[in-house]
Order: sequence, then structure tokens, then C-alpha cells
Amino acid sequence: MTDCTVTTRVRQVNENQCHMCMPLGGVVALRGVEHSIALVHGSQGCSTYMRLANVEHFNEPIDIASSSLNEKQTIFGGEANLRKALDNVIRVYQPKVIGIMTSCLAETMGDDIERFIETYKNDREIREIDIIPVSTPSYNGTHTEGFWATTRAVVAYYARPTERHPGINVIVPNISPADIREIKRILDLMGLEYTLLPDYSLTLDRPFGGRYQKIAPGGTSTAGIARMAGAQATIQFGLTCPEPLSPGLFLEQQFGVPLINLPLPIGLDSMDLFVRTLHDLSRRPVPESLVLERGWLCDGMADAHKINAGARPAIYGEPELIYALAKLCMENGSIPAVIASGTQNSGLVGLLQPLLKDALEEPVILEEADFVTIEEAAVRKGANLAIGHSGGRYLTERQGIPGVRVGYPIHDRIGGQRILSVGYTGTLAFLDRFTNTLLEAKHGSYRRLRKEEMLNKKGVSNAKA
Amino acid sequence: MTVTDVNVDELVASFPDKVKKNRKRHIVKKNESAGSCPQIEANTRTVPGIITQRGCCYAGCKGVVVGPIKDMISITHGPIGCAYYSWGTRRNKARADDRTPPEQIYSTMCFSTDMQESDIVFGGEKKLAKMIDEVVEIFHPRAINVCSTCPIGLIGDDLGAVAKAAEEKHGIPVIPYNCEGYKGVSQSAGHHIANNQIMEHIIGTGTEELDGKYIVNLLGEYNIGGDGWVIEQLLEEIGYKVNSILTGDSAYVNIRNLHKVHLNLVQCHRSINYIAEMMETKYGTPWLKINFIGIEATIESLRDIAQCFGDEELIARTELVIERELAAVTPELERYRKICRGKTAFSFVGGSRSHHYQYLLRDLGMEVVVAGYEFAHRDDYEGREVIPTIKSDADTKNIPELHLEPDPEMYREPNLHLNMSKEKYDELVASGRLGYYKGMYPDMIDGGIMIDDANHYETEELIEIFKPDLIFTGIKDKYVSHKMGVPSKQMHSYDYSGPYTCFRGAVTFARDIANALSTPAWKMITPPWEQSETKRT
Ligand code: SF4
Ligand code: SF4
Repeated sequence: MTDCTVTTRVRQVNENQCHMCMPLGGVVALRGVEHSIALVHGSQGCSTYMRLANVEHFNEPIDIASSSLNEKQTIFGGEANLRKALDNVIRVYQPKVIGIMTSCLAETMGDDIERFIETYKNDREIREIDIIPVSTPSYNGTHTEGFWATTRAVVAYYARPTERHPGINVIVPNISPADIREIKRILDLMGLEYTLLPDYSLTLDRPFGGRYQKIAPGGTSTAGIARMAGAQATIQFGLTCPEPLSPGLFLEQQFGVPLINLPLPIGLDSMDLFVRTLHDLSRRPVPESLVLERGWLCDGMADAHKINAGARPAIYGEPELIYALAKLCMENGSIPAVIASGTQNSGLVGLLQPLLKDALEEPVILEEADFVTIEEAAVRKGANLAIGHSGGRYLTERQGIPGVRVGYPIHDRIGGQRILSVGYTGTLAFLDRFTNTLLEAKHGSYRRLRKEEMLNKKGVSNAKA
Repeated sequence: MTVTDVNVDELVASFPDKVKKNRKRHIVKKNESAGSCPQIEANTRTVPGIITQRGCCYAGCKGVVVGPIKDMISITHGPIGCAYYSWGTRRNKARADDRTPPEQIYSTMCFSTDMQESDIVFGGEKKLAKMIDEVVEIFHPRAINVCSTCPIGLIGDDLGAVAKAAEEKHGIPVIPYNCEGYKGVSQSAGHHIANNQIMEHIIGTGTEELDGKYIVNLLGEYNIGGDGWVIEQLLEEIGYKVNSILTGDSAYVNIRNLHKVHLNLVQCHRSINYIAEMMETKYGTPWLKINFIGIEATIESLRDIAQCFGDEELIARTELVIERELAAVTPELERYRKICRGKTAFSFVGGSRSHHYQYLLRDLGMEVVVAGYEFAHRDDYEGREVIPTIKSDADTKNIPELHLEPDPEMYREPNLHLNMSKEKYDELVASGRLGYYKGMYPDMIDGGIMIDDANHYETEELIEIFKPDLIFTGIKDKYVSHKMGVPSKQMHSYDYSGPYTCFRGAVTFARDIANALSTPAWKMITPPWEQSETKRT
């Protein structure tokens, strides 16, 4: 077995980072709950920046309220501002659910949000609006953890002991709205009744038409979330989800709903695993249309395998996605040069090791990575593709490594919300982008490289010299 | 609805009473017959929970002013998010030149101390000091900026002390900025803090003698999409030497010599007027408000600059260049004018652009019916004459004012900078050119609405009421307007287009606008089956 080189950050410098802050992920997850709005308790800069980051990725309007803390509240506490913020958000947006995420400032101040909410609800006699606090100090975790923490908080808020029912729960990590839609289509094909959380497939990718509504229609209904406690099982695409933040584990421990943790259904093997699980749960045959889709994927993999064998991708981003992508690359003979995540403690290394043990080349695995470290490893290992979010543009600009965009955030290309990579069809779409990027790079430089190889600078054949 | 019919009360009707009162003070409708500008409330706190477009003090300091200085490393001291969000979001272009080689350009990189829980508990000074050590060791920068974010102020890290110790240790300037996001009410506080520190620590430390008969700085130009380069080229063609732009494509080595010029040109008044004013006090350098957005505006600005120096040859060359450029752009511009003429627009950007772009739109035959700034002060709306009457509040008092005296060695009378008599100089000042900015109000159309710190909700309401043809805004509300069927143009990063300055920039802009207005897609949104139904009924 080849020992993978594993590096976690030892330097103080974080240059060109690969991760973002915790409430940002929380805001995305909350968008998957029907009629909800996010409020970040902190100075307004955080909210504005998070709107910016999300708007650029999703190309959609994003409302994130702020309690707009100022210097005075840093001394006297932020309760009064939070109350004002709640008053105004409720009045103007009329939400049914408000998620309150904390910024680092609020966390450092030590504001007791739960108590604030309780007194506020009592004073204002609010019964119809659910106010859910989520603690999201960014010095404790990245947007990935923020996403999980918020999803778990939502589940914990609504789930109540319910009668058992044959439906299943499906909990997704931070994937694109298009990916969510594809997963839902597959669930429908398999004839299962399900609650998918968080479902931001409509709220963060709103089609044109109808009157513009301030809170986008769509999202998982709160009644549906409450029923999750009685489901037959939970499928969670969360192999890398830390246990204390795991919504699926919460349902299992509190309500005895068995948790099935699966890799994201990207790649043939992972998707097969998903379909087999659905098949076992529904006790129904796999429909012919899905079998056809699988066949097309296999066909595509076979057609492209010679080209893909030459790929040495650098894969970076959120752990759940890069694990799935690494697996997909391995099954197509593309041995990763670098696998890097900005998070820590996701268990990624342990997951990857069995996957990579027979690889002919030894990939570098980085945790808590920044792009300077990733770039250095990519160059050393001869990476020829950069797979991940927009941060990778530095690999292209500085090292000429062509990129395939997938993940979050994507702000240097359009349509981050529509990138499809899950399911048999999505995998094939991804794989084609992957292969074609390789081909394009090859065609772009092929003639020059061959010329350099065969002829010297004066145009005389090297063979004669 | 015509502009004059709009009722401001309707706009804010949904807000609770207290908020309604507050917001009404931020909205002014232009009334030509009333003469001067009614007072507008600006640069005061945003109501919590109202979804504002404003950012924070740190964003103004690091994101806008100091971040683009290309040969300095700007470290963000704080948790990871703040730094991430201010990384490369503004498209400030920078390039290597004879004084700054490519390996000394750091403005496209992002440096963060990435504070962890233990740092919050035990303090982050050691981590910051170590980070500075590493940065020096790896990159050998000429100078370093350190910007703090919210939690830092709270845990009480002494930025100044760390910077001072690092400066002694490494022998290069390390400049601290206490720009915690909660200070002030918007980015504006950060501009001020950045201006102060640049003034104190960089300007005036250079000792080189600059070459050139007419040397200027271009202050408050951030070189988005290359805007600054276009202006620079035009000025140099006429015969000026641009010592430095501040801060687009600027370098520490040039900012040190800012005091060596004859005249400061001010493009964005809001973000940089502090330095312009302080330099006038300390070195006697006069400043002139110019605007290179729009054809007419560019012509006027070029003529004003030439007048400041009063050199006949310079004036003649200015006219020559104007004539040549006009001839080059007019035919193409005419094509786009046909599409743009008579259309209306909103303009909600920053602290100066909402005014600047009105000129360019007017060149194209368009009118701005609603305009507002995110973080401006009253003088940006009403003109600098109101400055003495602006009341300071707890938020403004938090930002230190530098009280400067004329420099005993380097101060020279402003008229001597321009090589002209005191009388002639006073005349220029009296004519309102030098050292003055008139604000946005005089350029608004009758019945037009000026709105300060417009929030998400009001923007939506305004779109419903006015149904403009086009919206100039930041990316945050870009997609709201798209969803409402109104094309928008992102005026912070130009939707990856630009440059938009001066003559040729105006053509690029006009082409982009004409494209936005005439894209067939907007007309195809309603499906044919619904169209025929509406026709039938
Ligand atoms: S303070 Fe924390 S929550 Fe706010 S932007 Fe910075 S890292 Fe994110
Ligand atoms: S924490 Fe403070 S400095 Fe950082 S983004 Fe938020 S408001 Fe700005």
C-alpha cells in the first residue's frame, strides 16, 4: 500500500484560503426551509458579505437580515438590537421561520441568544413564528460545519415523536439546486415517499414567472420536518459530517430512525450504492429508465477511459464533495494528484485511505489547506486538472492548470446553481466536462509541444543534432 | 407614473412607525422651484433588520482603500470569513511597472490569521506577530498593512504594539488599522481610518524628486476594470505626469511621494476627501474635484485641470486631444444613443458613482429618476457647504480626527504649487472649482428621488412604482431587478466589463447599456399561449 502524504496546516499564514465562515453555510441550509429568512446576529458587514458571496454563486436575490451591532452594543450586549431586527424582519417579510445565526462578534460577546428569543417571544406574544437559534462561531468551523449545524438545529427544533411511517428522510450536504432536483427525481422514480432536507432547489434557483415574492416559494415544509422522526430510515449524504453536528445521527439517537450514511451519489459505485439502498427500502424493482441511464454512464466511461487515464486532477473544496469526486476519479483511472479540503476533523483522510491504497501514484492529501499549499502540491505532483470551486482560478492563472468548476462558491463562471454532478446522468455530465477540459488543453498545446520536442529553436530537427 | 407624482409616504408604508419616520428623513424629492437642497439624513445608523446594502468599516478600510495597494501585503487579523469576503471582489486591476516587479504584487492574494477558538480566548497577538514574521520571510514585501475585524476589538489585541514591534524587528513599515467592522455606520468609517493611517505613515516619507512640469495625483480612483489606466493615459498625453493613483494600481513606493505633486485630482470624493484635505493643510497641495465618467464630464474636467495650471500650451493641447477623441467616438456613440434615448434608470452605488454616472447617462439621452448612495454623507448629496452644519454623533466621534498643522519644512502656499498669483488662485477657489464638491442634488432632475441607504424592500417598491428601464446597482440587488423583469448593470465590478472612463470608456459603456436594453430575451418571458390569452380578453 502506498502511504498517502497527509498534511494539516502548521503555518500561521493562511493565504488564499479554501474555506469560508460558518454562518454562510447556515444561511444556505436555512434557505431549504419553507417561508424562512436568515438573520445574522452581529455587525452588518457579515450579512452583507454573505449576501454577496451567495448572490454571486446562485445568481439569485438573497435576503439576510442583520442586527447591525455597533460599538455600543459590544459593551452593553446585543439584545436590544436583536429585538429591533426581529420586529422589522417580521413586519416587512412576514416569515414563518427565522433562523438566527451568530457572527464571531456575537459569539465573542457571549450573547445568550436562546434567552433573548424566549423573552422576545413572550413579550410580543408570538406563537405563529418559529425562531431558531444556531451557534455559528467561525473560529470554530467553516461554512461546511455551519451548513450541518443549521440543518441539525432545524431538525432538532421540529422533530417530535410521531407515528412510524414508511417514508424516508434524505439529508443532503451543500450541493447545487440542480443536484437536489436530480436526487428528488431519482427518489420519485423509485416510488418512495420522502422528506428531503434542506430543499433549496426552488428557493435558490427561482424560475421566472409569476409575481416576484419577497420570500421565495419552495423549501421543505415544517410539517414534513416534524414527520422525519417517524420515518423508516434516514439517508444522509454525510460521511464526513462530524457526529455532534449530524442531523441523521440526532434522529437515530432521539427517535430511533436508522441512519444510513452514504457518499454523495457521484460516480458509478456511489450512485449504485444509493440506488441499491433505495431498492432495499422501497422493495420495488429499479425502473427501466434508470437502468438505461446507468448504461449510458457505463458507455461514456468506457469511451473516455483512455483519455481519463491521463488525468492527474487536483481536487479541492468541501470534504463531502471531494470524497465523492475522488472516488469518481479513481473509478475512471484518473489518479488524483492532490486532494485538499479547507476544513479539519472531517475524517476525510481515514475515508480516502482505503480508496487510494492500490493507486499507482501517491496523491497528496491536505486538510486545513490554503491555495498556496494546494498550488505547491499540485505543481510538485504534476496536476493537469483543477477540480473544484472558484478558488482554483489561481491554479489556472498562475500555473496554467485548466479547471473544471464544481462545488461552492462559484463566482467566476455563471450558473453555479445549475451545475449537475449527481446521479447517473449528472455523473456523465460531469465526466464529459472533465474529459473535454483535458482534451481542450491537449489540443490547445499539442502542436506547440510536439514541435518543441521534435525541432530545436532554429527549426532544425532535434534528431539530426 | 411621472416622477413628480410619487408619494414618498407610500414607499415606506409597510414599516413600523418608528422606522417609517427614520426612513423618511433619508428620502428627498427634488423640487426645482424650491431652490436649494432640503436636508437629507445620511451617514447615520441603519435600522437593524432592514436589509441594507451597506457593508462594514473593515470593508471600507481593507476592501476599498488599502487592499488595492499592490506592493503591500494586507493581513486581515480575525476569523476567516471577513478576509475571504474582501478577496478580489472589486476587480481593482494592478500591473507590474518599472518600480514594482511582478513578484512584488500581492494585491490579488488574501492573507488571514484565521483565528481559532483558543486565539479568541487567549488573544491573537502572538499569532499575528508570527504571521508577520512568516510573511516577511516568504515574500519580503516593502511594507505591510494589518487590518482588524470585529472580534479583535473585543478581545483587545493591541494591534499598534504588535505592528510597532514587527516594524522594529523587520525594518519595514507595518501599519495597523483598527477598522473593526462595528465602528461607524458603514464602509465610510473605514475609508476615514485608512485615510488617516496612510496620511500618518506613508505620505511624506518619500524623498525622491519627481520629474515633470505638471505633476498630479489621481485620488479616489480604484482602477476597476482598468478605469484608472485610461485616465492616466489621457492625462499623460496632454502633458501631465501622474505620480500615483490612490489606490487603484498604486504602490507604496509612489504613495510615499504623494506630497511632491502640484495638484491633487479627486475622483471619488467620499472615500478620499480626507487625504485631499489633510494634504492641503499639511503641504498646501490644492485639490480639484474632477469626474472622468461621461463625455461632457471628462471634457469639463480636462479643461478645469488645464485652467489650474493656466499654461496656454497645455490648454491648446487639451483642446486638441478633446477634439480628436470626440471625433473618434461620436459616430459609434450615436448608434447607441438611438437605443438609449428617453430611457430611465435608477442608480444605487457606493458613495460617488451614483452621481458620476448621471453624466454619462445624460450623454446617452437617459435620465436617472432615482439615485442614492449606500454610505455617503450629507455633503455628497447637498454640497460641501453643509459640512460645518453636520452634527457629529457617537458613531462619528469614534473615528479619530487627525489635527494637522502645516509642515514646517514641506508646506508651500497652494498658489505656489500651481505657480500662480494669489489673486488668480483665490479666483479659482471662488469660482467653486478648487477644493469644492457640489454634491448630487444639483444634477438630479426635477421630481427625481434621492434616497440614502436604500434597503432591499424599498428598492423593490421603487422598481414597482417607477418601472425603470435599467438599474445600476451592486450585485446584491441585481437579481431582484432581473426577477422583476428589469435589466441591471452591476456598477461595482461592471459585470466583468469596462473600462468606462473618459471617451473610449463611454463607448464601451454605451455598448453594454444598449445591449442590456435591447436583448430580445426580456420580451420573451411571457409564453406565447399566455400572450394570446391576454390579447383575447
Ligand atoms: S466575523 Fe465571523 S461571521 Fe462575520 S464575516 Fe468574519 S468570519 Fe464570518
Ligand atoms: S465581523 Fe466585522 S469586520 Fe468582519 S465582516 Fe463582519 S462586520 Fe465586517
